[in-house]
Amino acid sequence: MPVTRYSSLLEAVGGTPLVGLPRLSPSQKVRLWAKLEDRNPTGSVKDRPALAMVAAAEADGRLRPGCTVIEPTSGNTGISLAMVCRVKGYRLICVMPENTSQERRLVLRAYGAQIISSPAAGGSNAAVAMAKGLSADHPDWVMLYQYGNPDNARAHYETTGPELLADLPTITHFVAGLGTTGTLMGVGRYLREKVPDITVVAAEPRYGELVYGLRNIDEGFVPELYDASVLSSRFSVGPQDAVRRTRQLLEVEGIFAGVSTGAVLHAALGIAVKQVTAGSSADIAFIVADAGWKYLSTGVYGAGDDADAAAGLEGRLWA
Amino acid sequence: MSVSVSVPTILRPVTKGEKTVTADGGTVAELIADLESRFAGMGDRLVKNGALHRFVNIYVNDEDVRFTGGLDTTVADGDQVTILPAVAGGAGQGR
Repeated sequence: MPVTRYSSLLEAVGGTPLVGLPRLSPSQKVRLWAKLEDRNPTGSVKDRPALAMVAAAEADGRLRPGCTVIEPTSGNTGISLAMVCRVKGYRLICVMPENTSQERRLVLRAYGAQIISSPAAGGSNAAVAMAKGLSADHPDWVMLYQYGNPDNARAHYETTGPELLADLPTITHFVAGLGTTGTLMGVGRYLREKVPDITVVAAEPRYGELVYGLRNIDEGFVPELYDASVLSSRFSVGPQDAVRRTRQLLEVEGIFAGVSTGAVLHAALGIAVKQVTAGSSADIAFIVADAGWKYLSTGVYGAGDDADAAAGLEGRLWA
Repeated sequence: MSVSVSVPTILRPVTKGEKTVTADGGTVAELIADLESRFAGMGDRLVKNGALHRFVNIYVNDEDVRFTGGLDTTVADGDQVTILPAVAGGAGQGR
């Protein structure tokens, strides 16, 4: 029996289950596997980088007792940091776009975090810019900066990647969502070292137009962590496909995942079909970044067709 | 070879407000050249020093062309091409 007793909540981060999807897998030879990151203490994959970033900042002296942490986040990282900061006694300020779901804001406030809203137009780019500005104005605040902090990717290199390989030594493909890029960079690098023929695939959520409301192209943003050489391919998945797959995962396999997981599953199924067509065997693992609770108000899990539900995501950051 | 190209809000001043335009060409580079011939300024916004602009992503049937040959990526009749600016991702996954 594996040890399931921990001395504190922080030690319970990681060690998530990998479950097979026998009904969604196209054949006995081409199998899909879901890593249930919603089983982390705050219910998302972000507990891993949040804990790693805080621990590293403590270790090198940037974070000291009584410090204030500030972070641009559209939700899950904020919730994870809020938990870690609560346990360790730091004050947390989250800068997030005003169109982030209400559930996330309520959870953050419950943990005692303070929220500063950035304009919806401009999406996460505006939140990043605002957090950088506030951080510059308050040199005593510590910004962990998930988009450029190597400890984000390192958390996945040291934990998520090894867990995946231990549970699925025959892994051929790894698929995850692309946000900060930390999961894909960390797991991708680890698997490339251990599994020479591994295929690493990014599924990037394609949001509504409001989210892309830049004034000019040069205001664009690529996370500092991003290294394209780690990836084999990258897909853009629109809200309708994400909604359809989120519902399918729940209906067919009983997994109640967040909408970004639908986008990831869409890419994973696309790969699976290609493998079947090519007559290859494949073990395709993908990340379930969080569960559906925080997205209930979007209508994704209700009745109505996929297009209507996807329309409910317009203008919102759903991943 | 005619394909449909989805244009992001930020580039619509160049396409006179059109959200979707059609373009001819057998590669992404040829599509961009065709677009430039009708919508002056498009080429400069998408390509810098012979490569795709750092903050521009182009997808053929939802796949990022940087992983399929870049500007030399081939396109076929009926393909869907999407142009998007690079933005900070969410938290779900990421995100």
